[in-house]
Amino acid sequence: MISYNFAYLDEQTKRSIRRALLKAVAVPGWQIPFGSREMPLPYGWGTGGIQVTASVIGETDRLKVIDQGADDTTNAVAIASFFKRMTGVDITTRTADATIIQTRHRIPEHPLTENQIIVYQVPQPEPLWRLIPERPVAMRAHALGDYGTMYVKLYEDITRFGRVASAYEHPVMVGDRVLMSPSPIPAFDNPKMDRMPALQLFGAGRERRLYAVPPYTSVRSLDFSDHPFHPGRADGTCTLCGSTTSYLDEIIMDDQGTRRFVCSDTDYCSERQDAKEVTP
Amino acid sequence: MSILLQATGLNKRFQNIDALDNVSLTVSRREILAVVGESGSGKSTLLATLAGLQTADAGRITYYGGDRPWDIGDMDEMQLRRLQRTQWGFIHQNARAALRLDVSAGGNIGERLMMNGARNYGDIRETAARWLDEVEIGRERIDEMPLNFSGGMLQRLQIAATLVTSPELVFMDEPTTGLDVSVQARVLDLIRNLVHKLDVATIIVTHDLGVARLLADRTVVMQGGAIVEHGLTDQVLDDPQHPYTQLLVSSVLPS
Repeated sequence: MISYNFAYLDEQTKRSIRRALLKAVAVPGWQIPFGSREMPLPYGWGTGGIQVTASVIGETDRLKVIDQGADDTTNAVAIASFFKRMTGVDITTRTADATIIQTRHRIPEHPLTENQIIVYQVPQPEPLWRLIPERPVAMRAHALGDYGTMYVKLYEDITRFGRVASAYEHPVMVGDRVLMSPSPIPAFDNPKMDRMPALQLFGAGRERRLYAVPPYTSVRSLDFSDHPFHPGRADGTCTLCGSTTSYLDEIIMDDQGTRRFVCSDTDYCSERQDAKEVTP
Repeated sequence: MSILLQATGLNKRFQNIDALDNVSLTVSRREILAVVGESGSGKSTLLATLAGLQTADAGRITYYGGDRPWDIGDMDEMQLRRLQRTQWGFIHQNARAALRLDVSAGGNIGERLMMNGARNYGDIRETAARWLDEVEIGRERIDEMPLNFSGGMLQRLQIAATLVTSPELVFMDEPTTGLDVSVQARVLDLIRNLVHKLDVATIIVTHDLGVARLLADRTVVMQGGAIVEHGLTDQVLDDPQHPYTQLLVSSVLPS
């Protein structure tokens, strides 16, 4: 039987993606085109993130995969089992134990370290795409650092919602030079990107672009001087672990509209629950 | 009056057509210059070239605004962009194409301010509100989407979104052509008042001699990419010298 290469992709493909990643690290936030391959799952399910992970993963790595903060959702389970089969590496749900974390829509609550890489799945890498539909025109704006147009979106947000509040995918400036989409993470997670010790890699499979934020790079969320950036969080407490600081999911319990909040980061929540059971 | 913009020997060829054939002109501060001619005479090409939206094959354009003369051909892209969005303005015939229809009226006016570095929401909003009053749309409509605006309102919104930075020179490409006749009169009246109030020089391209007569201090007549006649508007329209100008003037329907 012919088996797959380690981590599914052939070595030449992995090398080409690593070359693109090196470029991406050299120019923080800059979108680098790469030869995105067909993957055994549809676009929009994390093909970009999987290719990035496959290019950087080694036999001694420990991988954690999250979707909306949870390790046990369909997308996360499917990708984790894919890498388990294709590489044989250990899969972990503990943020602190992982060396590579592939994520969709969240950054873990547990602070990341220099020994970790976080890989984001990105649907749309171009932060200007709604405002400047023509890609070459958007690229000229990037080349010239001409980003005033982006504020039109922020203006509209304040006008409609009363504050700078894209709930997710709030645009950021990387290294005070490049405008970047943080991928669809909640604005709550944006501050975690700033001077993060871990290497941050972003892969957009359908759009064939990847980009990176090297460790300890400044990442600033756009805002107005009289409407400062506000990382949104539901005003509530986690029903399971009692956290008052983590990012919360809202769960509707019945037809009467009873609602509960629980941590979106399942690993963080269960760690806190375990700690409670020991201490009392 | 001192010269604001000077173009000399502009040439532009599209395949085998001379769109611009050795065109030279000057615009002074606070002056309104009309460029008239039939379709295909090169007037829109001239306007786009003067405004730096396309480059000429030959000739030079010098702008005497700001702190020193600028040769448009020597400017880098960012310098030109800055000039175009601070000291210049461009009003397109089709306001629908120039504006963002899915962004509120205030956002459309504010865009130019934000592109120039404005980062205070309250200030941007107040300026936008003031300009909506100025163009007779009314500040209470600041949060409405232009999608629901009439053609005349859209054109007035575009005028506000252009003049908001108080430019020194505005290029207008058939600003009233797509509008109903009664609406045309109102927009022209607005342009005339604002242009005089703000002391902004204007180059207006039109095929409507009535527009030239109403607005322009001077008029140049183009045919086949060349300027065939130029002078004070009244002089050109009342006593045309060139056969083509005579034809243009005589073909206006008596009102």
